[in-house]
Amino acid sequence: MNTKRMLSRANLDALIRDLVAAGTVVVAPTHSSGQERTGVTYGQVQSPDEVLLDGPQPIRPLKGVVFPPTEALFRWRQEKSAVKIEEVPTGFKETVVIGARPCDAAGLEVVDCVMGWDFRDELWFGRRQATTVLAMACTTCDESCFCTAVGLSPTSTRGADWFLTPVDGGFEVDVVTPKGEAILDRYKARCPEAGGAAPSRTAGLEQQVRANLDVRPDRIRGWLETHFDDPLWKRVALRCHGCGACAFVCPSCHCFDIVDEPDGAASGTRRRNWDSCQTALFTLHGSGHNPRKDQTARFRQRIMHKFSIYPARFGEVLCTGCGRCVRVCAAGMDLVSILAEIDRAAQGGGEA
Amino acid sequence: MNLYQPHLVRVEEMVDETIDTRTFKLSFEDAAVAERFDFKAGQFGEYSVFGAGECTFCIASPPTRKGYIEASFKAVGKATRAMRRLNVGDTMGFRGPYGNYFPLDQMMGKNILFIAGGIGLAPVRCVIWNTLDLRDRFRDVTIVYGARSVADLVYKRELEEWAGRSDVILHQCVDPGGETPDWKGDICFVPTLVEKLAPSPHDTYAIVCGPPIMITFTLPLLEKLGFASDHVYTTLENRMKCGLGKCGRCNVGSVYVCKDGPVFTAAQLKTLPPEY
Repeated sequence: MNTKRMLSRANLDALIRDLVAAGTVVVAPTHSSGQERTGVTYGQVQSPDEVLLDGPQPIRPLKGVVFPPTEALFRWRQEKSAVKIEEVPTGFKETVVIGARPCDAAGLEVVDCVMGWDFRDELWFGRRQATTVLAMACTTCDESCFCTAVGLSPTSTRGADWFLTPVDGGFEVDVVTPKGEAILDRYKARCPEAGGAAPSRTAGLEQQVRANLDVRPDRIRGWLETHFDDPLWKRVALRCHGCGACAFVCPSCHCFDIVDEPDGAASGTRRRNWDSCQTALFTLHGSGHNPRKDQTARFRQRIMHKFSIYPARFGEVLCTGCGRCVRVCAAGMDLVSILAEIDRAAQGGGEA
Repeated sequence: MNLYQPHLVRVEEMVDETIDTRTFKLSFEDAAVAERFDFKAGQFGEYSVFGAGECTFCIASPPTRKGYIEASFKAVGKATRAMRRLNVGDTMGFRGPYGNYFPLDQMMGKNILFIAGGIGLAPVRCVIWNTLDLRDRFRDVTIVYGARSVADLVYKRELEEWAGRSDVILHQCVDPGGETPDWKGDICFVPTLVEKLAPSPHDTYAIVCGPPIMITFTLPLLEKLGFASDHVYTTLENRMKCGLGKCGRCNVGSVYVCKDGPVFTAAQLKTLPPEY
């Protein structure tokens, strides 16, 4: 299991062709809707030419592969006075993700906790089971990346079944899980055992990310647990529009809404859709009472959930430091500087 | 069948409690589900009308009465308005039971003081009937109930029944201005009535449910009367979608109302941030 293997770029292309030919769904960073101007995102590819492993971080996280933005829970049909329910399948097509970012692969494992406690979400785990993640070490980062501040790194293998490290001529392959082993067994010919250690192209990246934000999640959690009413919340949240974009691009945000979509009077689909705690309607009671009545309360919930509540319930930070919420925010909400400020305050210095 | 797929239930009976509050009696269409369905007083469910969506309420009938469940609701949103349009014989959906419950086993042999306001009587009514159906296992049963006006009192037929029972002490009030010429109860707010009655905390559990403003004034009052905060129970009703601890909206701090609640002691409430 621990033997390193080598996957040349030509063999990776061949592997992609093999998988597609075998009927496996292959997901990789690619131009969204085939158009260069719409940016790079994770999407289904049919050929190696569509795969963009050296491009920028995909604009949306990987979670949509396991947790689609909208998904049917069941269908119903009204027949005279009776209602018939049609189940949706919980078996899913085999999917292989190629070139997942470490922050995105880790996100899946972090969300497993909430999807599996007590009640097991078969739709989530059905897709998880069907999906093999071949993650790849990052070769670039930007000033919004902060995975090292939440216990990950550009080379962390969490959530990965294979871990690819870019080296000259291709990738060094670490097989991380039994699921990864199963894929290797099928495509061994594409990945001969590696000769010697090839120089990795990821050197220096970890220090670069650490320079963006160097904080301790346990220290931040300690501060959050005792500063529910801190003036920081209002000051920071004032500029938030409550649009929820941060949640939609987040690898670990998993809140959802359940709605009915009738196709007429007699049938329809109950679906779950991504939702965000940043919108005003999220917690609104039928009576008109809203326990999180302003954006300050809603923004605080987002930070508390990620850095205090989730760690308290599951021992995991609900953030993988991908930095997308920082990049996408129209109002310039900057989680990197907010976490830095909280960490400073937790050490007894600085304003917060 | 995944977690989000409801059981089919049929509307057997409906009663209009007030001008805007209705009670449904629901039976499971699948006999096997009806047979194995069981719950405890205080638990809740997700009720749905196909095409309109789901909404969350407690189960208002007691677990001691098998074969059906009851739900009392006000038409305030899309799903409850659609429920309001249903007729006897129509089919709707139910998922549950979810959440924790009132620890009635622990309360056996003790006095129970029920304090409810408005539609808050619904979850309390489930416990009241559970207690009355096992009457010999509890000591004094006292009910303090109030609403904005006489027209807003729910379960009127049952209030009459409780008033007539020798083994139940019932005190009722309506807000000033909400009385009618023949109103015999008090004219004040629920906390005022509790203060006037000054119930003894000795060997007594209190179960309190009502609008936030009533809870806010009643809990400190009970504390002043000497009730231990772990002998005072209430139920929280945050907005939910899944009821299963996943959709992420009912939490109050690190507590999920759908899984750690909806039933909490006053002692637990004190440790929570004010987000309910």
